[in-house]
Amino acid sequence: MTQPETRARRRLLIELAARDLWHDRKVSLCIVASLVAVIAPLLLLFGLKYGVVSQLQQELLNDPRNLEIRVLGNYDLDRAWFEQLAARTDVGFVMPLTRSLNTQADLMRDNQRFVANAEVIPTGAGDPLLGGTLAAPTAIDQVLLSASAARKLEVKAGDRFRLLVLRKLDGENENGHLDVTVAGVLADTVFPRPAVLVSLDFLVAMENFRDGFAVPMLGFTTGKPLEKPRDRYARARIYARGLDDVAPIAAWLEQANIETNTRARDIESVKAISRVLGLIFAVIAWTAVAGCVASLAGAFLANIDRKRKDLALLRLLGFRRGATGFYVIVQAALLTCLAFGLGYAAYFVGSLIFNAALGANLADNAFVCRLENIHILLAFASALLIAMLVAGVGGFRAIHIQPAESLRDL
Amino acid sequence: MLHIENLTIRRGPDYRIALPLLSLQRGEVAAITGASGCGKSTLLEMIGLILRPETLDSYRLGDSATALDIADLLHEDRQKALADIRARRLGFVLQTGGLLPFLSVRQNIELPRRMLGLSVASEPVEDAIERLNLAPLLAKKPGQLSIGERQRVSFVRAIAHEPDLLLADEPTAALDPIQARKLFELIIELVRRWRIAALLVTHDWDLVRDCGIRNLVGVPDDKAPKGGTVFHDAA
Repeated sequence: MTQPETRARRRLLIELAARDLWHDRKVSLCIVASLVAVIAPLLLLFGLKYGVVSQLQQELLNDPRNLEIRVLGNYDLDRAWFEQLAARTDVGFVMPLTRSLNTQADLMRDNQRFVANAEVIPTGAGDPLLGGTLAAPTAIDQVLLSASAARKLEVKAGDRFRLLVLRKLDGENENGHLDVTVAGVLADTVFPRPAVLVSLDFLVAMENFRDGFAVPMLGFTTGKPLEKPRDRYARARIYARGLDDVAPIAAWLEQANIETNTRARDIESVKAISRVLGLIFAVIAWTAVAGCVASLAGAFLANIDRKRKDLALLRLLGFRRGATGFYVIVQAALLTCLAFGLGYAAYFVGSLIFNAALGANLADNAFVCRLENIHILLAFASALLIAMLVAGVGGFRAIHIQPAESLRDL
Repeated sequence: MLHIENLTIRRGPDYRIALPLLSLQRGEVAAITGASGCGKSTLLEMIGLILRPETLDSYRLGDSATALDIADLLHEDRQKALADIRARRLGFVLQTGGLLPFLSVRQNIELPRRMLGLSVASEPVEDAIERLNLAPLLAKKPGQLSIGERQRVSFVRAIAHEPDLLLADEPTAALDPIQARKLFELIIELVRRWRIAALLVTHDWDLVRDCGIRNLVGVPDDKAPKGGTVFHDAA
């Protein structure tokens, strides 16, 4: 048999299989219904599990503090240490930080609009606090403000205000200051306290000023001259790349005797919810799949027995042994495709109802029940695979049907 | 067209069916007759390449110059090759039609040609449809046909792909005598016109005699130690 003949026969066989299913549509619909009865609830269940867990995870991710590994206390961290930390694939952002006492400053627009002891945070490209929408300050006199600080100062991007730093040198109070421009304001949810985000150089200049060095940038040339640029820092701002990365980084730091604080408990709760829902889903899914396999096997095998004469006739007319097995498998594939389409439609309607009824209190674009395209694709592939395996057993029986069976007992 | 030598088939542990020699020419129709259970259908299945022979010296199908020797394929049980020969060179008419219930009459008739990748339009087929008055039935499903109608459809399907050999297993068994005679005569006429060969299993000796066709009769085989049938031309 030539290649075109083989293709023509395969096409013919697929057509015959489809016509046979349509002719026996009541039985076909029963098989499809038994498949839909498994596929639709499983899609909904997994959609709920994924929707709830991903929603919780998204909420955690929306707050960058959940990715933060806070270094407690002051240490002596050199450049090599920072490079080693930054090289880790699970680290999303790392920035040197000065001693905690030196990370505060007063912000003043005028005598009425004033913020005392605002937090001063060094920032740079990739800082999770910037949320991917704001650019890090590029000049030393450019800063970003937290929403609460901006509100108190009544400033917006482009406005200017004065940043004040106090020190006591040789018994005299000295007020260092620098007039800065607001480059942007952080979202309200990102950082609730009054804070100003500055370049690392500016923060280091503040610490130098407080340590009694001469810092002309802040308006004072008094104090010890600065001999060499700083390459050691007391602390660090560290953010993990993802929620699962927080614990390993914290463990690595603690191994180096650096005490940390994270929101691991919140992350662990979400993971625990995911695990519990995963277990529930797995138990229900396996039970349903086992029932579905038994039901499909019964339906397919009974169907083959019913159609034994037709299959024998196909063999008599010259279809090869494998063709009858292929015929059965094609029918299983067609039924599964139809069942998955209907199951998906049922899931779609169900998920709309869940999202409307249960997701009313969620933020925009939030879902209670949700599946990604890859989940749909995997679910379809799994359903097809199971149906193929079950049909394979039937197909094995079908290829042993002899052409003579069509001649006898008619 | 068909030449078979020294064919034996074992049915069950002891019973032997033998066909020492059979030659059929193009346009020739032969009936296979014999008592019930003597092995007529078994012989037909063997000639239809469905069963394996116990012994077979020669099985040649086709014109002498291009005849295909199938004996080796049968001995070696080469199912794919045998299925291909069945599809191309043999046509089967079954007792009650053996039509696929999910195809219309026309689709059933077209099936053998489509299997071979041939155009579904065929002059002999259209001719047979007209001769057998099947035109009004073409859109119907087999379930809507009488047994006689199914037999006629089955016959057209069997010759649709212009096979070398037509094999019919009691094609008139379910028909009344008048219809049976009509179908028999039509088969003989069309086989002769299209110059194919045909073997028909039947119980109807009178019909065979009246139509004046060759009769291959099965009689008890004296040489078989534990019973058997040998088929040879009736005197």
